[in-house]
Amino acid sequence: MKKDINSNGYIFLYATILVVVVAVLLTAAAIWLKPFQDDNKKNEKRINILRAAGIAEVNADNASALFEEHCTDEFLLDENGRPDNNGTLPVFVIDRRISVIPMKGKGLWGPISGYLAIDVEGKIVGANFDHESETPGLGGEITTEKFQSQFRGKQIRDNGQMVPIEFDAITGATKTSNGVKEMIDKTLKSYSPYFERLSHAQP
Amino acid sequence: MPNPKKLLIEPLRKTNPVTVLVLGICSCLAVTAQLKPAVVMGLSVTVVTALSNFIISLLRKGIPQRIRIIVQLVVVATLVILIDQFLKAFAYDVSKQLSVYVGLIITNCIIMGRLEAFALSHGPWESFLDGLGNGLGYSLILVLVAFFRELLGSGTLLGYQVIPQSFYEAGYQNNGLMILPPMALIIVGVIIWIQRTRNPEMQENNPK
Repeated sequence: MKKDINSNGYIFLYATILVVVVAVLLTAAAIWLKPFQDDNKKNEKRINILRAAGIAEVNADNASALFEEHCTDEFLLDENGRPDNNGTLPVFVIDRRISVIPMKGKGLWGPISGYLAIDVEGKIVGANFDHESETPGLGGEITTEKFQSQFRGKQIRDNGQMVPIEFDAITGATKTSNGVKEMIDKTLKSYSPYFERLSHAQP
Repeated sequence: MPNPKKLLIEPLRKTNPVTVLVLGICSCLAVTAQLKPAVVMGLSVTVVTALSNFIISLLRKGIPQRIRIIVQLVVVATLVILIDQFLKAFAYDVSKQLSVYVGLIITNCIIMGRLEAFALSHGPWESFLDGLGNGLGYSLILVLVAFFRELLGSGTLLGYQVIPQSFYEAGYQNNGLMILPPMALIIVGVIIWIQRTRNPEMQENNPK
C-alpha cells in the first residue's frame, strides 16, 4: 500500500517524529560536550585574568599552570570591602600585589565584560575587555591591544579619593565606549572600600 | 547520473555559488576581514551543505511537499547547532570568532538553494558531492577575498605579519577601507569581472 505523503495525518506524523529525533540528538550532544565547553570557559577566564595582570606569554595550553603559579589568593568581598565567603565581589590576587577584578557591562548590541588589574598603590597594571556581539572593526576594537594598553599606568585614587578613569573612546563606536566607561566606573565604585583599605595598609 | 567529477569541480568554476549564482554574499562580507575566520566559515558551510544535501536527499521521497521548507530548515539548523557545539568544545578560539556568524550559516542561501535545486531531485551520493562542490566553491571565493582584505587591510596573513616593518617606516600604510564590509563586495565584483572576461561564454548577450 502506498501512503499518501501529502495527507494531513502523514504531515503531522512526519513533523512530530522529525522534531523528537532532532531534540534527542541535540540534547545528547549538549550533555556530552558540556564538560569540554566548561573547561574552555574556565581556561579563557584564567587567560584574561593573567593577561590583565601583565603576564603576556599566557595561552590556552599553559593557562592553568601559570594561573596556579601566579594567583596567590582568590576571595570574595562584601559591600564594605572585607573578605567574606558570602560576598558578591570576586578578587584574584596575582603575585601578592596585583588585584584583578572582573567587570560586567552593556555594549551596543550585547553584554561586554573585562578585567582590571590594579596594584596596591591604586595604579592600573592592565585592562582586558571582551564582548559578545559588538561590530567588528568598531565596538569590537575594545579587544585590541591598542585600546587596552591606554589604561596602563592610570591612577584610580588621587589624594585619598577615587577618581574617574579617562580614556580615548573609539571613533564610530560611541555607545560601546560609553558602555566601557560606565562599566569601569560602576565596578570601581563597588570596589572602592577595598582599595581604600589596601592603600591604608601600605606603610 | 551526472558525472561525479563534474559535480564536484564545476561549482568551483562555472557554476560557482558566489560569483555565478551570487548566493551567500551576506556572509561573504561578514567573515572575510581576516583569513582565519574565512577558512573556518568556508569549512563549516562545506560540511553543512554536503551533509544537509545528503540527509535531505535520503528523506526526499518521504518529505511532504507542503512542509518541505520547514523540514529543510530543521535539518540545517540541527547540523549548524551541532557544529557550533563541537567548535565550542574543541576549537574554542574559532567558535568565539564565529559566534556572531553561526546564525549566518543557517540562513546561508547556498544551503537552501542547493537543497531545493538539487537534493530534492537527485540521489544521496550525487547530492553529497554537489554540496561538497558548492561548499568548496564558496570557500574558494571566501579565502580569495579574505586574502586580499587581510593583506591590504592589516598587513598580515592568518595573523602573521607579512608586510615588513621597513615598508611602514618608508611611509606605507594599511588600507583601513579594506577592513570595512563594502570592500568585500568590491573584491567579489572584481573576481566576477575577471572570471567573465576569461570566459566570454558566461556573458549574457546584450539585447539590441
